Amino acid sequence: MKLILILWACSIAAYALAADQATIDRGQKEEGRACLPCHSLRLIHSQRLSRAAWNKELDKMAGWGTKMQDRDALVEYLVTNFGDDKPVSPPAMSADGAGKK
Amino acid sequence: MQANRRELFGAMLAVAAAARMNGADDGVTIPGKRPMIVHNDRPEDLETPLQYFDSYLTPVDAFFVRQHLPRPAAIDPAAHRVAITGMVSKPVELSLDDLRKLPQFTVTATLECTGNGRAFYSPKLPGIQWGRGAVGNAEWRGPKLSDVLKLAGVDPQAEFLEIDGADTGLLATPDFVRSMPMRKALHPATLLALSMNRETPQIHGFPVRLIVPGWDGTSWVKWVTRLTPAAKETSGFFMNPGYRYPKFALPPGTPARPAELEVIEGMPVKSTITAPADQGKLPIGALSIRGFAWAGENQIERVEISTDGGSRWQDAELPSAKLPFAWRLWRFPWRPTAPGYYTILSRATDSAGRVQPFVPAWNPSGYLWNGIDRIGVTVEAA
Repeated sequence: MKLILILWACSIAAYALAADQATIDRGQKEEGRACLPCHSLRLIHSQRLSRAAWNKELDKMAGWGTKMQDRDALVEYLVTNFGDDKPVSPPAMSADGAGKK
Repeated sequence: MQANRRELFGAMLAVAAAARMNGADDGVTIPGKRPMIVHNDRPEDLETPLQYFDSYLTPVDAFFVRQHLPRPAAIDPAAHRVAITGMVSKPVELSLDDLRKLPQFTVTATLECTGNGRAFYSPKLPGIQWGRGAVGNAEWRGPKLSDVLKLAGVDPQAEFLEIDGADTGLLATPDFVRSMPMRKALHPATLLALSMNRETPQIHGFPVRLIVPGWDGTSWVKWVTRLTPAAKETSGFFMNPGYRYPKFALPPGTPARPAELEVIEGMPVKSTITAPADQGKLPIGALSIRGFAWAGENQIERVEISTDGGSRWQDAELPSAKLPFAWRLWRFPWRPTAPGYYTILSRATDSAGRVQPFVPAWNPSGYLWNGIDRIGVTVEAA
């Protein structure tokens, strides 16, 4: 009985994790759909913000005309990958364009 | 060898994963720019790596870029017009030739993004995570804005000048329109610049860009198309709530009090260490600590250096001229006598007696970071 309970708990936990991952994946798709039309993703990925701060940013973007279809998933994706508890990634460098028009 | 290969492969995977997470569309090249720190490539928000800061004038190909909105399509200089509208006796549309016919002046001025150093604030803030390099010093040349405005006859009742450029926002993003008090618009150093270091880079706002010496970069409107004297400040997003600073300091991490936010005018006193590189290793011997310091409309009076974490301070040499608006380069010859790790600090004082603080006031948009600069280096025995 104990074993069954443990297995049951594990399967629930696994399901919850899988659901989370599915939400995060949906959030990433939403990012591409909603954010990319106006700016590159670097602008997002270089920031490390709390859930409240990401929500505030999305409010601002909605006010500026961004149509979000899956905002809850987008928030989960942002907080999971770019939350204020995540380490800052090293700066990206452009290639040498000096002398090019 | 095998292990090394495995490590190398692992490192390559990590780099590839990091690149995916960064949204790096591999090999972004910005025409006309050396390799820059890319915060955003569409539109361009590019930071100057510190190793490029080795001259009094910052070369155009290394100068930082801040765009709020996508750059306008290519501008035909022959067709470009600057309209003067609003509280004037004679509305006019000026061509670049009209602007070239006016007396031309050169002003050397330091341009700094209002958010330069935002990454150093804690708690962290939304916005571009600029480090030390959203700043540069250039020679700007063109007619005085006051001479340009005279062509339209400004109503003396006008208190503000509204400025718009050719860039426009996507979807419902607000247009980038700024206002400044007429007293600053008519200041003899405020120019409608037609060149920067004798070049006319479109990415920096040419063929015609506003130069507001001593004020933060947000006032320096690019690709100017319209100048409108008005009784009141414009009310768009980029004046309110954008680019405002709390009148009274807030506890870090707390929300802004909208009624107590003020338009930013001028810049604080600040110094930056450009060499040696932070966390670098140096051989013991004769070394040189270098950087620049600036103070908005004031002049840099003094730069002090500490090589022991702030116990003792000594004056740096200031080889460049003491001027308002432009930075002064500084250098400090240093001969450490023992190997080990050193914490190096720089602290500037300006002609009004302002001194760089240890802890700049946290503010909800992360503007005007001017904390005493700090690096660490390891000095190794010969």
